[in-house]
Amino acid sequence: MTTLEIGIWSFPALLGLIFMRVPIGLAMFLAGYVGLWLINGSPSAGMAKLKSETYTQFSNNSLSIVPIFLLMGHFASLGGMSQALFKAAESWVGHRKGGVAMATIGACAGFGAICGSSLATAATMCRVALPELRKSGYSGGLSTATLAAGGTLGILIPPSVVLVIYAILTEQNIAKLFLAAFVPGILAAFGYVIVIAIYVRIHPESAGIRPRVPYAERFKNLVAVWPVLVVFLAMVGGIYGGIFTPTEGASIGALGTGLIAVINGGLRWNTLLDSFLVTARSTAMIFFIVLGAAFYNGFLAQSQVPQEASNWVVSQGFSPWTVLVIILVFYLILGCLMDSLSMILLTIPIFWPVMSALDFGMSVEHTAIWFGILVLIVVEVGLITPPVGMNLFIINAMERTTPLVETYRAVVYFVASDLIRTAILVLFPAITLFLIP
Amino acid sequence: MNQFFKTLSRSMAMLGGIVLTFIILLTCVSILGRAMFSGLHSGFAQAWFPGLASALIDAGIGPVRGDFEVAGSLMAFAIFAFLPLTQMTNGHASVDIFTSWIPPRGQRVLRLIIEVLFALVLIVIATQLLAGTQSKLKSGQTTFLLEYPIWWAYAASLCGAVIAAIVAVYMVAVRVAELATGTTLISDEMGADL
Repeated sequence: MTTLEIGIWSFPALLGLIFMRVPIGLAMFLAGYVGLWLINGSPSAGMAKLKSETYTQFSNNSLSIVPIFLLMGHFASLGGMSQALFKAAESWVGHRKGGVAMATIGACAGFGAICGSSLATAATMCRVALPELRKSGYSGGLSTATLAAGGTLGILIPPSVVLVIYAILTEQNIAKLFLAAFVPGILAAFGYVIVIAIYVRIHPESAGIRPRVPYAERFKNLVAVWPVLVVFLAMVGGIYGGIFTPTEGASIGALGTGLIAVINGGLRWNTLLDSFLVTARSTAMIFFIVLGAAFYNGFLAQSQVPQEASNWVVSQGFSPWTVLVIILVFYLILGCLMDSLSMILLTIPIFWPVMSALDFGMSVEHTAIWFGILVLIVVEVGLITPPVGMNLFIINAMERTTPLVETYRAVVYFVASDLIRTAILVLFPAITLFLIP
Repeated sequence: MNQFFKTLSRSMAMLGGIVLTFIILLTCVSILGRAMFSGLHSGFAQAWFPGLASALIDAGIGPVRGDFEVAGSLMAFAIFAFLPLTQMTNGHASVDIFTSWIPPRGQRVLRLIIEVLFALVLIVIATQLLAGTQSKLKSGQTTFLLEYPIWWAYAASLCGAVIAAIVAVYMVAVRVAELATGTTLISDEMGADL
C-alpha cells in the first residue's frame, strides 16, 4: 500500500471503530498510531512522538481557554444571573403571545454572552424558565423545544468553546472569529423568536397569557442584569481591543462570574468543588479527543491525504458553492450521530484545506472565518436533532412529564429556522464578515 | 475498593480544579500588574508623581514574570489530574446508536474490549511520559524566562498520568466482574457536546 492509500483506508477503519462504540478520542488515537506504524514501518515513530506530545498538547496556551470557559460557565450558573436575565426579558415581552418562550430565548442569548457552552446554557435556563413556562400555561413540547434551541445560543453567541477549537485547527485569530460570530448569533435569537411567534399562531393552545408588567418594574429588572453586561464587556471588549489575549480574557471572565456568584451566595466551598468535578470530567474528555485528533491528524498530514483531497477537488472543477453545500449537508447528517467537538476535530483537518483552495471571491482569512461560523451553526443543529441531540436529552432529563416525541415535534420548527439562517449566511457572506477589519 | 478509587479520582479532580483556579488568579494578577505598569510609565504618572511611579516600578509592580510558562506547566498537570475521574465515570465521548441492538452480554464483552484498549493506551502514555521526563532530566532543559527545569512540569503531569493508568486497569477489572456476574456496576455517560 502506498502512503496515500494507508491514509485513505484509515477513514473506514476509524469510522468502524467509532461506530463500534470505541470512545472517539481513543479511536482517533489508535487509528493515528497504527497509521504512523504502517507508514514508517515501525511502531517506534508513534512512541517517540508520545514522549512530549501529551505534555505539549495539554500545556498549549490557546487550549487553556477551554477549561477556563467551562469553569466560567458553571460559575455563571451558580451566580443567579440566569434568574435576573429571565426576569428582565419576561417583564418586557412576557405578556405577548408566546412571550414567556420569547423571553426564555432572550435570557439564553444573554446567558450565552458569559457562557461558552450549550449544555450548560440549556441546563441552567431550564431550571429557571421551565417552571415559569409551565405555570403560564405553555405546552410541554413548546417549553422543552424552546429551551433546547435556546441552549444552542450558549455556543452560537461568543464566547464559544467550539470556535476556540476551530481557530486552533485552522490557525485563525480567535478574537476575529468571536467577533464574526456575534451578528449570526443575534440573528439566531431573532430567528427563534419568530419561530415561537409562528408556532403559537399555528397551535394557539400551546401558550398562555400573562398580565402586563408596569414600565417602572421593567426598567428595574433590566438594570438588575448589569453584572452580566460588565463581565461580557470586560472580557470581550478586552480581547477585541487587543488589551489581552483570549486566554487572559477568559480568565477575567471566569474571575468576574466567580465574584458575582460569591456575592450572590451561589458559590460556596461545596459548590466550588462540584464545579471542579464537572469541569474536570468535560475537560479531560475534550483534551483526550484533542490528543487523539492531534495524533490522527499528524498521521493524515504525513499521508498527504488533505493535500491530495484538496488538489482533487480543485482539479475536478466543481463549483466552490456546490462543495460548500455538500460539506454543510454532511455535517448536518453526521450531527445526528456524533457530538459537535468530535465532528470538528475529525473533519476540519480535511475540509479546511479543501475550502481554502477554492475561490469564493474573498481572502483566505475571510473564507476561514466565514466557513468557521457556518460550520459552528450546522454542528450546533446536531444538538437539537434526533436521535442524538444532547440538548434534547438534557432538557428531557430535567422535565420528565413531557415525552421526548412532543419535544421532537416542536423542535422541528427551530431546526427549520437554523437551516434558513444557514442558507442566508451562505448567500450573504457580508453578514458574517462586515465587522472583520 | 470502588470507594478508594472513587475518592482518589475525585481528589485528583479537585486538586486539578484548585490549580486551575490558581492559574486564573495568576493570569488576572499579571494583567492587573501589566496595566499598572503601563499606567506608571504613562505621561500622566511621570508628570505628576514621577518619584512614586519609579518607586512602585522598582518595587516590582508589573506583569508577573514568566506567568505564561507557569500557567502552561500547571495546566498540563491539571488536565492529567482530571483524567482519572473521566476514566472512572466513563465520561469519554462515544457513538452508541449502532451498537444498541447488541444483547446485554455482547455489550459487556464489547465494553471490556474497549476498556482493555483504553488501559493499554493510558499505560503507554504514562510510560512514554516517564521516558520524556527522564530525557528532560538528562538534558537539563529549562524554561525560557524563569529557567526552572522542564522535567519538574513533566514529573507533575506524570502523577496524573500514572493514576489515570491505574484507574483504567481497575476499570478493566470492573468490566470483567460485570461480564462474570451479568450486572452493570458503572454505567455510561454522555458525549463531547458543549
